[in-house]
Amino acid sequence: MIGSRRPRPDGATVAALVAAVLMTAALAMIFFYVPTDVSEGYSQRIFYFHVPIALTTYTLFVWGAVNAARYLLRRDESLDLKSYVPMHLGVIFGSLTLVTGSIWANIAWGTWWFWGDTQLTTFLIIFLFYCAYFMLRFSVEPGERRATYSAVYALLGVGLIPLSVIGVRFAQSNDLIHPITFNSNGANMDHSMFLTFLVALAAMLSLAVTMYLVELRGKRIDERVRRIRRLVEEGV
Amino acid sequence: MISEFAAKSVAAVYGLAWVVTLAYIAILNAKLGRLERQLDEIAGILERRAGDV
Repeated sequence: MIGSRRPRPDGATVAALVAAVLMTAALAMIFFYVPTDVSEGYSQRIFYFHVPIALTTYTLFVWGAVNAARYLLRRDESLDLKSYVPMHLGVIFGSLTLVTGSIWANIAWGTWWFWGDTQLTTFLIIFLFYCAYFMLRFSVEPGERRATYSAVYALLGVGLIPLSVIGVRFAQSNDLIHPITFNSNGANMDHSMFLTFLVALAAMLSLAVTMYLVELRGKRIDERVRRIRRLVEEGV
Repeated sequence: MISEFAAKSVAAVYGLAWVVTLAYIAILNAKLGRLERQLDEIAGILERRAGDV
């Protein structure tokens, strides 16, 4: 019988449920499970949100660049949208990284920003680079030319990410005050802290996936409504 | 003993994340409202056209 079956939950609904469960677990672990850091004290709890947000920012920029490369290979219009949406979300998460990092810096180092630090400066360069992506994208008329320019720009920017992540490891201690939590020996923290970090990272990534799927769906519906309106106005 | 400054900083970071998420939902809601208005306009055009026939 038509309409008797319940519709299966879509990807965004599943991702939202996963994000809600993981975010609840992460907050419970951050405030009730993980011990207070001996050297940094209570403010170290900022780490469990700040670092996952920063890693999610990188992931979104990389995902946007992957879809940009796929667009250049296949010239499929939907891939242009799948490249644009992560860039947009990456800038939102990037802003949050900068603000949460500044709050942490103020309490840990006594300053909101330190220009001499390699990690901070390279992250800011990546962030500003992707902010300029939108200036480029919206200065060109919609169509293949805009999609191509945007895809090439997105691909150029992704090369900066290894510089930010690995470059900081090459920096000497005299210009580095940003803590290095992960190195070749693994995570520099105890088991419970690492577990809490992983749950918080999974929560943040699932939140980003939810936002990506919802925004993508909204943009597709928007595009369809425009097309229908055009057809109706043309009298088809 | 938790210092007041540390507690305020942690609260600011976690609060900010929630505010950004809620702002994102508000923007999406505004977008849905715009789509709804556009669909109403299309329905209006089709209804007028049906009335003319």
